[in-house]
Amino acid sequence: MRGLVALLGPAKVLGTRDDLLLYEYDGAVDTATPDAVVLPESTEDVATLARFCHEHAVPIVPRGAGTGLSGGAIPVEGGVVVSFARMARILEIDVPNLRAVVQPGVINLHLSNAVAPHGLYFVPDPSSQKACTLGGNVAENSGGPHTLAYGVTTNHVTGLEIVLSDGTAVRLGGKAIEDEGYDLVGTFVGSEGTLGLVTEMTVKLTPLPEDKRTLMAAFATMDEASETVSAIIAAGIVPSAIEMMDQLATEAVEAAVHAGYPLDAGGILLLEVDGPRDGLDDARAKIETICREHAATEVRVASTALERERLWAGRKGAFAAMGRLSPDYYVQDGVIPRTRLPDILRLVKDAGARHRLRVANVFHAGDGNLHPLILFDSRLGPDELERAKAAGLEILTACVEAGGSITGEHGVGMEKNCYMPLQFRSADLAAMTRVKDAFDPAGLMNPGKIFPTPSRCREFAFAATAR
Amino acid sequence: MSATLARAVPANAAECGEILADATRNHRTVRVCGSGTKSYVGDIEPADVELGTSAIAGVVDHVPADLTVTVRAGTRITHLAAALARAGQFLPLDPPHPDDATIGGVIAANSNGFWRTRYGGVRDLLIGTETALADGTVARAGGRVVKNVAGYDLDKLLVGSFGTLGVIVEATFKVLPQPAASEGIFAELARSPDVFAAAHAIVRGASPVAACVVERGEGDTWRLAVEARGTASAVRRAIQDARREITVRHGRAAELGDDLGRLRELPARATDGALVRVALPVAATAPFADTAAGLETFAALVADAASGVTRVHLAGDDDAVIQDAEALLLAARVVSGAGRVERRGERLRTRLPAWPQRPSGDALMRRVKDMFDPAHVLEPGRSAFA
Repeated sequence: MRGLVALLGPAKVLGTRDDLLLYEYDGAVDTATPDAVVLPESTEDVATLARFCHEHAVPIVPRGAGTGLSGGAIPVEGGVVVSFARMARILEIDVPNLRAVVQPGVINLHLSNAVAPHGLYFVPDPSSQKACTLGGNVAENSGGPHTLAYGVTTNHVTGLEIVLSDGTAVRLGGKAIEDEGYDLVGTFVGSEGTLGLVTEMTVKLTPLPEDKRTLMAAFATMDEASETVSAIIAAGIVPSAIEMMDQLATEAVEAAVHAGYPLDAGGILLLEVDGPRDGLDDARAKIETICREHAATEVRVASTALERERLWAGRKGAFAAMGRLSPDYYVQDGVIPRTRLPDILRLVKDAGARHRLRVANVFHAGDGNLHPLILFDSRLGPDELERAKAAGLEILTACVEAGGSITGEHGVGMEKNCYMPLQFRSADLAAMTRVKDAFDPAGLMNPGKIFPTPSRCREFAFAATAR
Repeated sequence: MSATLARAVPANAAECGEILADATRNHRTVRVCGSGTKSYVGDIEPADVELGTSAIAGVVDHVPADLTVTVRAGTRITHLAAALARAGQFLPLDPPHPDDATIGGVIAANSNGFWRTRYGGVRDLLIGTETALADGTVARAGGRVVKNVAGYDLDKLLVGSFGTLGVIVEATFKVLPQPAASEGIFAELARSPDVFAAAHAIVRGASPVAACVVERGEGDTWRLAVEARGTASAVRRAIQDARREITVRHGRAAELGDDLGRLRELPARATDGALVRVALPVAATAPFADTAAGLETFAALVADAASGVTRVHLAGDDDAVIQDAEALLLAARVVSGAGRVERRGERLRTRLPAWPQRPSGDALMRRVKDMFDPAHVLEPGRSAFA
């Protein structure tokens, strides 16, 4: 702590108990207090602190806005939390090349707002986009509702400047679509802060679609809604977004946001198609027909930008609205092939019932990316969170057995690192470890994340007997 | 270097791993080969073992409703395309050498075509891999679902790795429904500023096109090939818009024939001289093309105006070709692009390296290579960072 102050000055280092408590949590359920917090203002600051940590073998935990949903920013093994709040400048908007060069602390939505006058936007739009940072998006390979047609963060990053745990700054890629040699940009994105610290990034900007059509369709059951999703895809239509919500989620959203969703619906789909104006109404009409063929009780098309905003406000505010139903929630992020939606959703419901907990579902149906929100009340005792976690593990096990993944966009973090052997054999994990050792041989970058740790994962039998 | 080349054709992932483990133990170098369509890339020397993937072939699983397909690496692109077409779907990749190229080779060489900006490239469509590593283990990464952030994205690391990290034995891709309509135009324009202005206007237009490619060959004229794919109304609109951009610049537009196929095959035709391939920030494409067309040994240029990937064929085998190739790579680097000498004639091979410049991050790349292939037996000479 004193050493860091000597190197960086008192203004960039926090160390009082009150200060540190502010950095012990993120958007998930786990907490741990850092030994110090550093607020670098430049790549040089980051390199300096990394060299210091390297010399003293201190863990380094990067942090954006702390909105992460897998405990990625939690210093589970202590050490220095590096907040990028002061590296939050948009360095360049390069309209002819459709690129922006930004610092990692820039807030996701601020970039899209800044480039909107040029008719451009940054595609990944996680629900937390008003708060989450682009550096955090790179770490987690964040998605959002519109990834179905346009891809996730990794599809929109072409260049990075990173600082390794030994303090070396490395530039990877640039404004061109690719660089020679290995695609280390693609390898780094989604590495959850375990390979290095992002100090600058070059991202793609995309021309705003000429127009869009947004529809809300209500169904009596989740099964009907699920089957509609598969039917739309089978008809050769790839909407830019297909979101689904169950009755419990709708109840919370309506109480908080008043998006106008029907409260009596068992399942609701929010669909959007965008692109050139020609053909949009054809696509909308086809979707409408398919919804009605699958017994939709109501199909509503947003006729104004305001109506569209309102429909989306419900979806984007859904997690926040859960406070109306329950003081705490534990959200899972498993992915399944979308054809398996109906049976896995039933299984999700059963898992909740088995552990005497309610589960609300609001998720990216087009991608098969579930977000079961397991509702619990920590005031009733530690058993509540334990039961929520047990239900979550049952759901993730089912996702993997269906051929899916334990996480689609929230990351593994410290929340699911013990579950990695569910999805990957020891040889698979060993291959990932080689990448880790190439980037961070000292093992100081965000320890205790992604990879199962013997100390914390002992209770999971499948982790001990890696397949 | 050994006198005789052993040829190994493993039947599956495990056999492939055994061959690699044996090579590592005995320090025997391995060349990995699909159909061998891109064997011209890199500064390769004879290896001890040639490992062919032709027996690891076939579609493993295609779930049309999930828009995914899992396929073994030795499968030819054409075979996969036929299987997908039966379900009305396609893999939106249009790499060079489509008749012979294999899935594994396309991934390993990051071999893209002109559809990349519209549909994404190999790295964007690939969602899972199974790879035999140098120690004989077989590692899976990604999966079979379209969205997945569990663990490191080793798929990305393998794209463009040219077999230097392992042998890809299986891959899963996102696929798409075949478009209802497609149409194209092929235009001639007199001046370079006009052809690039038209191309950029088309690429930035409200109706996205599938391909927009500039060509300059013999003679002084510039040509523009545009292809639109999608719903009938979207295609009609895109072609209408493109035609307008060409006409206002006094270009003459005709129907597109197999011009894109011909442009895509420039690497196949460039058997003599040097073929320089660069990836540029898109706005730098026009001045780069002018520079190229003015070179003494210039023969042909094909520039993907949507992605900035540009190929220049230089003719001859004297020092002038070497100077021009190096000048082009330097011109690319000045605008923060990157490139390589993708192919060169036999007589230039020893005098003109494939990668005269090292990429930024080369030290880190070497560390990755060392972790995956500590004995350096895999594909010697195929690394930009060596």
